[in-house]
Amino acid sequence: MKLSLDLSVVFPALVASRLLLALTNLPDALKHDHQLSSPLTSYLNLQEGIYLFKNGIDPYSGGIFRHSPLFLALFTTILPTSRTVASVIWTLCDAVGAWALVQIWRARQRVSQTSRDGLIAGAYLLNPYIFLSTLSLSTSPFENMLTLIAVMFAAQGNASPSLLAAALLLHLSLSSVVLLAPLILLLASSPVSQLASPRAFAKNGKNVAPLVAEFAAYAAILSLASTLVSGGWAWVPQTWGASLTLPDLTPNCGLWWYFFTEMFDHFRPFFLMVFSIHLLIYIAPVCIKFQYDPLYATFILLGILATFKPYPTMADPGLFLSMLAVFPEIYPYLRYPIVTTLLHLHAALLMPLFHHLWLNQGTANANFFYASTLVFACANGAALTDCVWAGLRIAIGEPQDGYVVVQE
Amino acid sequence: MDRIRALLRPAGDRNLNRVRRRQALLSALTRRIHLLKITLFCVGYLWMLALPSPRLGRGIYIDENALGPGQVNTYWNWGDVANADRYLELLEGLRDSNSTHEQRAEVLKMEFLKLGIPASTQNYVFSSSTGKYEGTNAYAVLSSPRTSGTEAMVISASWVSRIGEEDGTLNLRGVSTVLALANFLKRYSLWAKDIVFVISDNHLDGMQAWLNAYHGETQSNLQAAELELSSGVIWTALNIDYPGHSFSHLGIFHEGINGRLPNQDLLNSFHYISKWTGGVPVLVYDHVESQNTAPSWIPAEYREELHGYSHRSNTILRHIGYQARGRGSGVHGLFHQFRIDAFTMFGLPATGPHGFHAIGRIVESTLRTTNNLLERLHASFFFYILATPDHFLKIGSFLPSAVLISVAMMFAGLKIWSDSAWIPDTSAAIEKEGENNGNKWIERIRPVLPVLGMMISTHIGGVALFYVLTTAWFSHNQTIASILLVAILATLSLRALLVPAEDTRAVAPVSQLLKALNLCFASTVISITTVVNFSLAMSLAILLGIPLSLSSPSKSLPLRIAKFTAYLGLASAWIFASDEVRKALWDWEILRVWFAPFVCIVYTPLVLQAAFVCLLPS
Repeated sequence: MKLSLDLSVVFPALVASRLLLALTNLPDALKHDHQLSSPLTSYLNLQEGIYLFKNGIDPYSGGIFRHSPLFLALFTTILPTSRTVASVIWTLCDAVGAWALVQIWRARQRVSQTSRDGLIAGAYLLNPYIFLSTLSLSTSPFENMLTLIAVMFAAQGNASPSLLAAALLLHLSLSSVVLLAPLILLLASSPVSQLASPRAFAKNGKNVAPLVAEFAAYAAILSLASTLVSGGWAWVPQTWGASLTLPDLTPNCGLWWYFFTEMFDHFRPFFLMVFSIHLLIYIAPVCIKFQYDPLYATFILLGILATFKPYPTMADPGLFLSMLAVFPEIYPYLRYPIVTTLLHLHAALLMPLFHHLWLNQGTANANFFYASTLVFACANGAALTDCVWAGLRIAIGEPQDGYVVVQE
Repeated sequence: MDRIRALLRPAGDRNLNRVRRRQALLSALTRRIHLLKITLFCVGYLWMLALPSPRLGRGIYIDENALGPGQVNTYWNWGDVANADRYLELLEGLRDSNSTHEQRAEVLKMEFLKLGIPASTQNYVFSSSTGKYEGTNAYAVLSSPRTSGTEAMVISASWVSRIGEEDGTLNLRGVSTVLALANFLKRYSLWAKDIVFVISDNHLDGMQAWLNAYHGETQSNLQAAELELSSGVIWTALNIDYPGHSFSHLGIFHEGINGRLPNQDLLNSFHYISKWTGGVPVLVYDHVESQNTAPSWIPAEYREELHGYSHRSNTILRHIGYQARGRGSGVHGLFHQFRIDAFTMFGLPATGPHGFHAIGRIVESTLRTTNNLLERLHASFFFYILATPDHFLKIGSFLPSAVLISVAMMFAGLKIWSDSAWIPDTSAAIEKEGENNGNKWIERIRPVLPVLGMMISTHIGGVALFYVLTTAWFSHNQTIASILLVAILATLSLRALLVPAEDTRAVAPVSQLLKALNLCFASTVISITTVVNFSLAMSLAILLGIPLSLSSPSKSLPLRIAKFTAYLGLASAWIFASDEVRKALWDWEILRVWFAPFVCIVYTPLVLQAAFVCLLPS
């Protein structure tokens, strides 16, 4: 079977089928799902906030609404909030994301069209983690879209739009600040695959400072805009603060919630600090090791974020897995892709099942669901470590009989 | 000491040692993987055979201290028995006058109202592909004198008994027990929860309609009137089934729909109360332990054990029959979907010695016990197999059996997967070069996407099959339709013969990859099902374990077709069990039991994939 995937045919077909799915009543069934939307991205909370805002009540005074004021501005002025329109907008977000992913691929290959374009769009639009998340109307598709747009502009060398997208992303999800370093490296070098021929970072680092300054300026302007919109600084502890202090322990597919439900209160600040800093410590090593291929460093950091961030949804690992399609050169060097796939299969079946047993059927308890999120974390970790291995291993060349590569 | 150190830190390059150690370990494992696989299969199946053994499992105990079963004086007395008899006369009159559903429910409602308990009726109509089911439920709510009515207990009886698997025997004594209990219970002020009395129409559909209305659930094929009376959250429900004149034992029926079981504490409390308060022996289900029929040449101590084994295996087989099909063993099973712990006490028909007096006291005492609960029964007492009323298997003593088989299948799949990437290089050049070692391997590519496409299309075919089964056309011409469906399935599958054989030196054969992924996926399905419905997982392990591991392509066409026919039989022979199919579809349409869709969408496609493996070129 020869796969002839022409983007001009595949892309509209995929988007149309996604739209059809989005317009069924699936979203109503999925919008309460804890794995697909977290307290920070839930559609129900968003609606609540918009309602309060329209009625002149500060939505941040409650403790339910944790979305960025930018969403408030967007949904109260420009976009209507009916469910059908929301489904269409959310699906279009994914379409833009898929298009950006194709552009990233093209920029990496330095060609204007390839035969894999359709496959890459499909890898994003048909990824169940992503499209279920979109169907549940969680706002994580917006985060994914902004991530991909920021990376796309960076890969194309457009500094300002890329940094603007990154600043917007920072407002939607504080943890994505992790991506800033590889994005700036990417802007300063090129997206072309250098994995097979590592070398020191060649471009001069002088234009890094202005880029950081530009990003800071955008972020500051957006913060001011947010303050103007919401009429005060109350949004800061409610949105960004939530990622750092974890006030809402609603179960999700990540690793934080259970840990902090079990913790004695006097240890809480310490472990919050440990967990938050843990996310940051990966930036430097990954960026240094993959300094010759910052796009790959971005990809790895996305995987780390998806595994360890405070309020993840299924869309976060989904983005990491879909992005794997952009790096076909590493496939022969993956050590255990089948194990990773099976782990993901198990986790993807176990999580909804244990969630159901615990909260609907009542025969299991929180430990069951937590165990399944651990399987999910193992699956993500396996994918991540295998990608790091393959990305490094490719530089040593084809495997030869009688020789083994070991890690010191 | 030095020797230990030398063992732990051998001389030479550390990395080289590590690589050698890893290679030795890996080759030791891969060389023995067949042995490992066979061992796992054997242990798994033997474990399944050992489940009824009296040596496995342990005696029952009460985990929730608040229950305190059998710690109260009961007040149900002969006067109440006389009341029950009077109600029974009334019901017999209703039966003999061939009254309609509405008339019956109206009379029952009036009886509750006469007692001063608010009561009402509810009409419902289910429409399904096999016809309409209608009826009228009667129910009454006795408000708790002590609390605000946020919690409730249910005492129910269905109009039709479960005896003889719904042959139409009426549950008249069960219903009169409920009425007499209503009369009795309202005289006491110690109830901390509302008591809801439900007389549901027919056997299962009435209660399904009532529960849906009570919990505000909508079901597309159900038209049910809203309930006029309501109460709080229902915690426990006792369903009374007393079809005979008298009874000798009380049987516990506990399986809910979709394999859900009630908390075992409830069953254990009932067991204690029945034994010590009521003096009635308890059974699991309705089969009494038979005489020991083991041959006499077996030594006495083994005879006892063998007898125990055979009795327990009967019980466990019935359990598997109810749970695997997700059917539930009675009206109580419908409560479980709303998180209500419930079971049916079944009065085993006999000439004596027990009657209304015993059952009234037992229900009264059981209600007092559940009345004590301050929180829901929550301890992890939901995963068990009752082997006898006072002996059960814990999760740890039955779960591994199915999991071991799924692990064996996973190993087999992974082994085939890794094998498929390599082929021994037997080209002439190599043979000349070194005669003594033929282990030169060349790598080949594995086209996964077409295989995945094949697997997904079988599952989509399963969805289509299920859709056809639920149409009215199928239920009207079941025999012809079944033959037609299997014929279509077979012809569609035979297209796999047309897949051209590729050069196996460059590309791994599709059949090999399909088998690998098929085994891995089947293993995942089995291990995940164990937690939600162990009996189903166990049946799958038996039906899929060995057969899927044995599927293989072959050279000759007749052999390929023969193998394919065998697998096709395994995949779709169930369709000719027309009664079973009709029941499973009824369960799906009326009670939302997902066994029928599961078989169509998961089981049949999995076996069909194995059938493809036999058809595809090697």
